[in-house]
Amino acid sequence: MSSLTSTITICNKLGLHARAAARFVQLASRFESEIRLIRGSREANGKSIMGVMMLAAGKGTELALIIEGSDAEEAMVELVGMVENRFGESE
Amino acid sequence: MTLALHGLGVSRGIAIGAVHLLKRDAPEPTERGLETDEIESEVERLRAAVAAASDQIRSVLTRIPADAPGDIGAFLDAHLMMLNDAAFTGEPVRLIRERACNAEWALALQRDALMRVFSAMEDPYLRTRQDDVRHVVERILRVLSGAAPVAHDKEGENLHGLVIVAEDLTPADTVQLQQAGIAAFAIEHGGPTAHTAILARSLGIPAIVGLPNLRRLLRDGETIVIDGTAGVLIALADEALLRFYRERKRQERRYQTELIQLREAESLTLDGMAIELQANIELTADFASVRRVGARGVGLYRTEFLYMNRTTPPSEEEQFETYVGIFREMDGVPVTIRTVDLGADKLNLSWQRTSASAVNPALGLRGLRLCLHEPELLIAQLRAILRASAFGPLRMMVPMISTLQELRQFMAHLEEVRKELRREECEFDESMPIGGMIEVPAAALCADTFAAALDFLSIGTNDLIQYTMAIDRDNEEVSYLYDPINPGVLRLIDCVLQAGLRHATPVAMCGEMAGDTRYVRLLLAMGLRSFSVHPAALLEVKRVIRRTSLESLASFGARTRLLESCAEVRDLLSELEAL
Repeated sequence: MSSLTSTITICNKLGLHARAAARFVQLASRFESEIRLIRGSREANGKSIMGVMMLAAGKGTELALIIEGSDAEEAMVELVGMVENRFGESE
Repeated sequence: MTLALHGLGVSRGIAIGAVHLLKRDAPEPTERGLETDEIESEVERLRAAVAAASDQIRSVLTRIPADAPGDIGAFLDAHLMMLNDAAFTGEPVRLIRERACNAEWALALQRDALMRVFSAMEDPYLRTRQDDVRHVVERILRVLSGAAPVAHDKEGENLHGLVIVAEDLTPADTVQLQQAGIAAFAIEHGGPTAHTAILARSLGIPAIVGLPNLRRLLRDGETIVIDGTAGVLIALADEALLRFYRERKRQERRYQTELIQLREAESLTLDGMAIELQANIELTADFASVRRVGARGVGLYRTEFLYMNRTTPPSEEEQFETYVGIFREMDGVPVTIRTVDLGADKLNLSWQRTSASAVNPALGLRGLRLCLHEPELLIAQLRAILRASAFGPLRMMVPMISTLQELRQFMAHLEEVRKELRREECEFDESMPIGGMIEVPAAALCADTFAAALDFLSIGTNDLIQYTMAIDRDNEEVSYLYDPINPGVLRLIDCVLQAGLRHATPVAMCGEMAGDTRYVRLLLAMGLRSFSVHPAALLEVKRVIRRTSLESLASFGARTRLLESCAEVRDLLSELEAL
């Protein structure tokens, strides 16, 4: 069991909108670990699309990504990669 | 009296048809108290409705054609996930139990609570995502009220050729309506970034959004005109106006038919000069569209997709299989592969050695620079490309060259890989042409050097423009300077074309400028003879080429060098257009 924390910056043009949130949640749901996103005083379950959307993370927003569980390392690499690749969007 | 309403044209094209007003989706819920023994059956009723709503979306998903753009499914996936989120499956159940109220009321309370959160968001795009919440709740409410899904509103009747007028459409409705054969739609809500607008473009349905009170102004069954290009809806049109739009529609159809017929036509000018016209490929999914337009070659095969969304770089074997696969997909037409043009910011952490947080990645460690910095990345790709060259006509080009020094380093790696392969007695094309992308102004100015050292050059206008004009393409305040017809950009392009002529080195162009029909004659006048364009633009570019005589352009080449402002360039473009 390990617990990892990383700061991510949303860099795609439209922010964590519905499709981006859906991609994030789909990927997050593949892992057993507990995945949380924190923005200021708000916290969301990384496996809930409504939770992720309601963080209102527009372009440039910094979020803390906290992952706890058996596959935390792999989850961290893949989720951070997806955010840095702008969710596969062109902008 | 003709009524013309101006909205936002979000999907091009003209349609003339009878209005089909979509009724208000479901009555606004009212609260109904429950007896204690009714509560659990109400919870069940809600759960069944959520399941039925999910089934509806799943059923639309299965009917999306295989060659539809990927975003169509993505929109529906997002709604499906929302439906099954605790926000809709958990909280309303809690509300039913706590307040002993009906499912509709519990849903409405939860919807209003969620909408309040979204409408308070600062980011305008994220704020409009309250539409998604409304759409998802509406779908459940429709099921609860026993109403049919929107596309089956006119029971038993065909929607073919009708113009849908509605307050709003969900992405799933839009897909279903298109499948039911509607001619166009106009809605009261929405802006250019609304999901429905993006979908209308993907599905090719003319559409106008942002027409408030529209449903009160139109009658069911009356004939209206939708001009999705101009964003105008016309009702009560007189016969003359209808004739005008029917003619426009015919012209549009003729133009589309003409384009389709050009599929097999040669890319020849009026005076019989062959102009090379190839397609760009970004994703494997593009093969279908490239075949549809009958491209005779791939002028730019981007390899970035192989490296995205993964934790380790693609192996040599995986790349080799992918590259050989291109010949199968493309029936052996010539293909130009570009070595990977990733920025350090796009790399995944686990195999990344450099800082991810470059402030301006466009000016950072990317393209050839990154490859030289991470030689094992480059070598794996060079081996895969060279090995694939034994299986079909292949060329290779290098992105983001800035200096001769870089090119020499690249060539040294290439020579090393060739030696290795010879030692391994692995077959490859010894004379595979090697080219370079000219997209850095320094390389454009020294194009002579690169024209002498390489087998071909290809001008990447997207980056060339942003580097030449010193603008960040993501910065909206300076995006007005992002214009291919800036004289500074044109002179650099001229520099490259002239260098190519002097060294008898072919020069192609593969940026967006090459696929913009407004510039085709200008580029031909400047001496460009090879275009590589987005598949969607290929036939339109071919049409312009086939209507142009190089002889008539002869006097324009020299004039392009004297232009001093964008306004002067635009005047020249009008002159060329009128030829």
